[in-house]
Amino acid sequence: MPAYWLEATVVILGLILLLIEAFGKSVSRELVRRVSIGGLAFTLVPLYFAVTPPTDNAELARFYIYDNWAVFFKILAIVATILVLLMAYDYRKVLNQFTEEPGTDHGTGEFYALPVFACAGMMWMASARDLVSIFVSLELVTITFYILVAYMRRQVGSLEAGVKYLILGALSTGFLVYGIAWIYGVTHTTNLAEIGIAISDPDSALAANPSPLFFGLSLMLLSLAFKIGAAPMHLWIPDVYQGAPTPITAFLSVGSKAAGFIVALRILEPFFNSEITKSQTTLIVLIMAGLTLLVGNLAALGQTNFKRLLAYSSIAHAGFLLLAIAAWHPGDAGSLSTHQVVSLYLATYLVITLGAFFVLVVVRNADDSDEISAFDGLGRRNPSLAVCATILLSALAGLPLTAGFIGKFFAFQLAISSASANKVLWLGIGIGFIGVAASFYYYLKVVRAIYWREPAHEKELPVPRISRFVILSLTALTILLGFWPNPILWLIGG
Amino acid sequence: MPVFFYAFAAVSVIGAIALVCFRNPVSSAISMVGSFVGLAALFIGLNAYFVGIIQILVYAGAIMVLFLFIIMLLDLKAPSAFKRSSPLILVGGLIIPFSFVIQLSTVLSEVRGGDPKALPLQDAAESFYDHERDPDNQSEIYNSLQKKSLPDVNLIGLTLFGHKGDNASIRTPGYNFPLQIIGVLLLVATVGVVALSLKRKQSKSGGPES
Repeated sequence: MPAYWLEATVVILGLILLLIEAFGKSVSRELVRRVSIGGLAFTLVPLYFAVTPPTDNAELARFYIYDNWAVFFKILAIVATILVLLMAYDYRKVLNQFTEEPGTDHGTGEFYALPVFACAGMMWMASARDLVSIFVSLELVTITFYILVAYMRRQVGSLEAGVKYLILGALSTGFLVYGIAWIYGVTHTTNLAEIGIAISDPDSALAANPSPLFFGLSLMLLSLAFKIGAAPMHLWIPDVYQGAPTPITAFLSVGSKAAGFIVALRILEPFFNSEITKSQTTLIVLIMAGLTLLVGNLAALGQTNFKRLLAYSSIAHAGFLLLAIAAWHPGDAGSLSTHQVVSLYLATYLVITLGAFFVLVVVRNADDSDEISAFDGLGRRNPSLAVCATILLSALAGLPLTAGFIGKFFAFQLAISSASANKVLWLGIGIGFIGVAASFYYYLKVVRAIYWREPAHEKELPVPRISRFVILSLTALTILLGFWPNPILWLIGG
Repeated sequence: MPVFFYAFAAVSVIGAIALVCFRNPVSSAISMVGSFVGLAALFIGLNAYFVGIIQILVYAGAIMVLFLFIIMLLDLKAPSAFKRSSPLILVGGLIIPFSFVIQLSTVLSEVRGGDPKALPLQDAAESFYDHERDPDNQSEIYNSLQKKSLPDVNLIGLTLFGHKGDNASIRTPGYNFPLQIIGVLLLVATVGVVALSLKRKQSKSGGPES
C-alpha cells in the first residue's frame, strides 16, 4: 500500500466522525469518541505495511517523502492523538460545563473529530519535502488548533487563549510566507532538495552574497520558533496553554511541537549541509536555543499554576532540542545523528508529558483547580497517583534512570562532541546545565507539595478507569525507557 | 513604467498606514480597500492580470465589504473603545519595525538587482507545443505565448493541475497535492466556525436538532 493512503485513511476517519456527529441518532457522543480512538489505533496497522509511493508520479515525488523520519513522526502523531482523545474522554466533565447547554454532551462532538484532522496534518508535515506542502499542512494543523483552543466557549480563559493564539499564529504565518518568498526568490525553487543543491554551489552569486538567503531563513525560523515554542516567539505559550482545554494543551505541547521539529529538521538540513551557510545557521539556532533555555527554565521558577509550569517546561524542552539541532551531526557508526537524538528526545518527552497532563486532568476533575496547591497532600489522598506523579515529574527534570534522562543525556552528548569543532557551542551547553539545575527546583517544588504540604481536605481522590490505566502504563514506560531505550532506537535505526 | 509602479506602491503604503492610524474602524476598512486597489494595480503591472482582478473582486470587493458589514452591525463606538497605549509600548512598537526596515533595506541594497530581463516567452511557448495537433490548431496558451502575451488564466489552471508538455509521456507536475490538503483545511475551518458559533434550539426532548 503506498504511504499516502495513510493520511487519506485518517482524513476519511475524520469525515466519518463528522457524519456520525451530524446524522447519528444517539444524543451521546460516546460513539464519536470510540470510533475516533479505535479508528486511529487501526491506522497503525497499515502504517506497518505502507511502502514508499512509486516515483513515477512526479508530483507526489515532489511534495511527499516517505523515509524513516516520516514513519517515526507519523507514529508519534498517531500515538499522541490517541492519548489526547483518551484524555479528552476523562476531561468531558469539565468540557461539558463550558460548551453548548452546560452539563450535557451537546456540541462537543467536534471536539473528538477535529484532533483527527490535526493528526492528518501532522502526518503530512512529517512527509513534507517542499515549502509549499510544508506550508499547507502546517496551516491545517494550526487552524485546527485555533478552533480547539477556543472550544470551551463559555469560559473566558479559553476564548482569550483562542484569540491570542489566532493573532500570534497569523503573525507567524506571515513571517513564514515572507521567508518562503525570499528563499524562492534567491534559489528559484521551493523544493528542499533543490534548495540544498542551489545553496551549496560555491561559484554561484548566492555564495558571494548569502545575506538575502539568511534573511529568508531567519524569517522562516521565527515562524518555526512559534510552532515549537522557542524564544523569541514563545510569548503565546503560557497564556494559551493555561486557557486551552487540558487535552488540547497536551496535544499542543506534544503533537504540534513534534511536527514542528520534523519540519524544522527538514528545512534546516540543506542549510547545515552547505559549507556556505553552516556556521551562520549554527549560530542562529544556538542563540535561539540559549534564549529558549534561559526563558523557559528561569520563568518556570516562580509559577504557582501547574498548567503554566508545564507550559514553561515545554519551552525549556524546546531549548534542549534546539541545542541538539545547533550541534548538527549527520551521524556515524559511533554516535547518533541529530535526527536520531531529536526523535528519541521527542518520543520520551511524549510519554512523560502526556503522563503529567493525565495526572493534571485527574486532579482537576476532583478539585476543579489547576494550581499547584491542588496537589497539596496528594501523597495522603491517593498514594499510588502520588508515586506516579513523582516519577513523571522527576523524569521531566531529567533524573537518571528515567526516560527524561536519556533524552537530555543524548542531547548533551551530541552538543559536547560537536563542541570540539565549534567552540561557541560550549556556551549553549553551559546554559543547558544551568537550565537542568533550575528545572530540578521547579519540578521538585510540585513533589514537595505532594508529600510535605497539608491537604486542604482529606477527600478521596478518585481516578477514572482510563486515566488509571494510561497513567500506570506511561509511568511504567518512563522507567522502562530510562534504562532500556532500545525499542525507540530500533525504530529510528540507531 | 516606474512612474506607475511608484504611484500605486505609494497608494498601497499610504492605505496600509492609514489603516493602522485611523481610530474609526470604518475608516480603517475603507483605507484597507485603498491599499488593496494599489496592490491589485501592482499585480496588473507585473502582467498578473488574473491575480490583480481577483485581488479587487475577492479581497477589496467581497471580503472588505463583509468586514464593513460586520463593523456596522456591531456598531463599535470607536474612540472610546481604545485606550492610549503606554509610551513604553509605543517605543517598543517603533523600535522593532524600525530595526526590521533597516535590516530589510540593508539586504535589499546588497542584492545586485540588475536590469529586469524579458521573460523567455518563446521558450515557454515551445514547451506547450503539442505534436499530435495541427500546427495551425494549437492550444490557446501556445498561441498567446507566441504573440508574446501571458495567457494568464489558462496558465494558472495548468500550473495548478499539471499539464503535458511537448513530450507527452512526461507530465509537468502541478499542485494537486497541496490543493487537496487545502480542501481539508477549508473543511476544518467550516466545521470550526459552526462548532464555535452555532446556537442550538432548546428542544424539550434534548435532540440534537439545530
